[in-house]
Amino acid sequence: MTKPKQLLEDNVGKKVLLLANESIARGVLEAGVRLVALYPGTPSSEIGDNLTFMAPHIPNFYFEFSTNEKVAMEVAGAAAVAGVRSMMVCKGPGLNVAADPFFSLAYVGIRGAMVIVVADDPSMWSSQNENDSRYYALMGNMPLVEPSDPAEAKSMLLEAYEISEKLELPILFRTTTRVNHTRSPVTFGPIRDRPKTIEFVKEPFRFVPIPSVARVRHPWLLKQMELAMEISESTKLNFITGSGSLGIITSGVSYNYVVEALSTLDIDAETLKLGMTHPVPEKMISKFLKRHKQVVIVEELDPFLETHARRIAQLNEIKVDILGKEQGFFPRILEYNPRIVIEALSKILNRNTSINWKAIDQKASEISGLPPRPPLLCAGCPHRATYYAIRVATRGKAIYPSDIGCYTLSIAPPLETADILFDMGSSVTTACGLAEVTDQDIVATIGDSTFFAAGLPGIANAVYNQHRISLVILDNRTTAMTGHQPHPGTGVTGMQEKVPPLNIAKVCKGLGVEYVKTINPFASLADLVAAVREMTTWTRENHKPSVLVSIAPCALLEAAERRKTGKVPQPYYVDSELCNSCKRCLNRLSCPAMYLDTKTGQAVIDQTMCNYCGTCVAVCPQGAIKQEDA
Amino acid sequence: MKSNTVNIVISGVGGQGVLTLAEILAKAALSDSHNVRVGEIHGMAQRGGHVVCTVRIGAGARGPIVDPGTADLLVGFEPVETLREAHMIREDGCVLLSSHIQYPVAVSMGKASYPPNKEIIDGIRKFTNHILEFDAMVMAKEAGSSRALNMIMLGAIIGTGLTPITEKAAIDAVRNTFSKKFESINIKAVKMGRKKVENLNR
Ligand code: SF4
Ligand code: SF4
Repeated sequence: MTKPKQLLEDNVGKKVLLLANESIARGVLEAGVRLVALYPGTPSSEIGDNLTFMAPHIPNFYFEFSTNEKVAMEVAGAAAVAGVRSMMVCKGPGLNVAADPFFSLAYVGIRGAMVIVVADDPSMWSSQNENDSRYYALMGNMPLVEPSDPAEAKSMLLEAYEISEKLELPILFRTTTRVNHTRSPVTFGPIRDRPKTIEFVKEPFRFVPIPSVARVRHPWLLKQMELAMEISESTKLNFITGSGSLGIITSGVSYNYVVEALSTLDIDAETLKLGMTHPVPEKMISKFLKRHKQVVIVEELDPFLETHARRIAQLNEIKVDILGKEQGFFPRILEYNPRIVIEALSKILNRNTSINWKAIDQKASEISGLPPRPPLLCAGCPHRATYYAIRVATRGKAIYPSDIGCYTLSIAPPLETADILFDMGSSVTTACGLAEVTDQDIVATIGDSTFFAAGLPGIANAVYNQHRISLVILDNRTTAMTGHQPHPGTGVTGMQEKVPPLNIAKVCKGLGVEYVKTINPFASLADLVAAVREMTTWTRENHKPSVLVSIAPCALLEAAERRKTGKVPQPYYVDSELCNSCKRCLNRLSCPAMYLDTKTGQAVIDQTMCNYCGTCVAVCPQGAIKQEDA
Repeated sequence: MKSNTVNIVISGVGGQGVLTLAEILAKAALSDSHNVRVGEIHGMAQRGGHVVCTVRIGAGARGPIVDPGTADLLVGFEPVETLREAHMIREDGCVLLSSHIQYPVAVSMGKASYPPNKEIIDGIRKFTNHILEFDAMVMAKEAGSSRALNMIMLGAIIGTGLTPITEKAAIDAVRNTFSKKFESINIKAVKMGRKKVENLNR
């Protein structure tokens, strides 16, 4: 890993290519942040991935992978209350998990400074919804800052800490996938020192929001937001570029599309780019609206700025056409691109688009019937073996509550073992609900990291309320989906220290689960099937929860290990003498390393993709899949 | 779009090294003092699914997104994945197409069929006639590793002469990014890719 090392360089003025997430990690150093706590979530994951490697090399710095976002918010919140600079990072749905402390933090405020980075995911590249976190700022009365690219991700982060310190309030720092996962040149600034420790000065009648305290804090918060408004009016985060009769108000990544669209269409416009989007600068916007007959609002997802603009126009009796989502010029779903802005501006200005996209769309629609290529469980993924066994053992007839992680991909044929999912941890709890109103068998699955993040209360619930659920815990020794971060079961911390790992089976027993077994999914497929069958039978007979922990490391970890050690097992192959073209392996297991040779009609293993798990060997009824002898 | 910006779209399958290629290209561009943007998608998309990455080089690049019909160069790691993104290419834009097929699982399961090569080429021809086809997988193995597939494509991109990136900057970026262990294979692959495309273009 060269990146985290590079991010540590004390080299002011150096220009490097950074992902916005890397830029934020660098910003942590430049802002003198003392503590960062987070639970990984794409599109924000690389912030933690870099910080964990940087952390041991930064004096007076603490970084942790918290067990979930609520925990992270509280850990970081307390540090800021004590008086240092802290940061919490999460993806959009993660802020929902952390909503409770989020609202309290605004009431009690902080003595140091705190930034809450939330990465929204328009287009849902890796999330279960595209909800718009800006409304948290509105609802919770917390200032909101939105960068538009990797350079701003750092410069605005530094500014956010200054604002936070002034207001004694955390700042919500909202990014979107196209900001987080854009790479562009970023210039390093000076690194700021951090205090070793500080003293926590007690002030319970501020920091313990019992009703009598909260009643005092709410008006305080509203007053702070008035100060925040003054900052919003004067900060350089809100600025105007260009001139022209047309007005545009925009923020975040959309700003780039506006700049590109104006240049492509070669039109003049005055653009108000808002970096601080709560509270919006009312006077600035009011003046801007007064200057124009038409103002176009360009923002992804919900009409947040648009609603503000309409409100401000109404309050100030400004006659102006505000054009945005309400009239259908812009969509409320999915991410934007220059094309969307070009098309909307062309429509508003009654001119042709720069490119004939209709013709391109037409031609593209003529290319149909391409085989789909959705994401899949990797070749050699231990989850494939486990799900195969669950399906065989239950003949596909049980209900399969799923959870959040790579394993949700088991929704696809032929595994088809994901039937219901709400959020992190919901496998266990939806199973509880289903168990009471159906008489079908229920086999829920949850990953190891998700187990610690959100599975524990559900398991306690299942034990307490005696729900007849079978829970298979897919322990692949990492948080695979988001890029292999450690968790409480791995024995490695965010500071890269070795600690005693929490043992999932013991935790389940400790929670009162009577039936807890552990298995290696690659040891014997027949045993795995038998184990699932046994647990479902036990659950049915005892009307209590049962747990099977299926432990084998993620295939990507195994592959990385092989590359490191250079030790490669003997290759697997299909013996063409024995293969009778039944295609059972392809149709039931569908490992991406196997494909059909259309000439011979037989299955073939792609040696460059095989991860040597051996599962396919047991699936073949002919014994045609073999491992070469050493 | 902007004439002072080169738009590159890279399309392939998760695990083929699409993201890494984009990063190397951008590093090389930056080291030659060009403005650059890379757009990537992580997470779900990586698990063997279709992956698209964009690289934009030049003063006009602000955001990471390349609109349909505006790519100067479409770099296809796999035939079907190239055709899937063919609408991105601008008229007379150049398509690099590696002919090595990686069958989607739906095809292996007999639930979908893989289009014959002619259909793929005809499909791309609806958008541009400038198609350079070669088997980058065979070349990568010849260079020393199937994992050097993206390095073949890197060389091929330089070979088109459509970007301001020099072979030297690209090789320096490769040197600075990967371990010494694979350096000679990677550099060999870059050179092979460049030569291949220069010959095809002749
Ligand atoms: S051993 Fe079989 S199932 Fe396992 S990765 Fe290789 S081909 Fe796939
Ligand atoms: S299951 Fe075995 S016999 Fe049947 S096609 Fe696959 S390899 Fe051949």
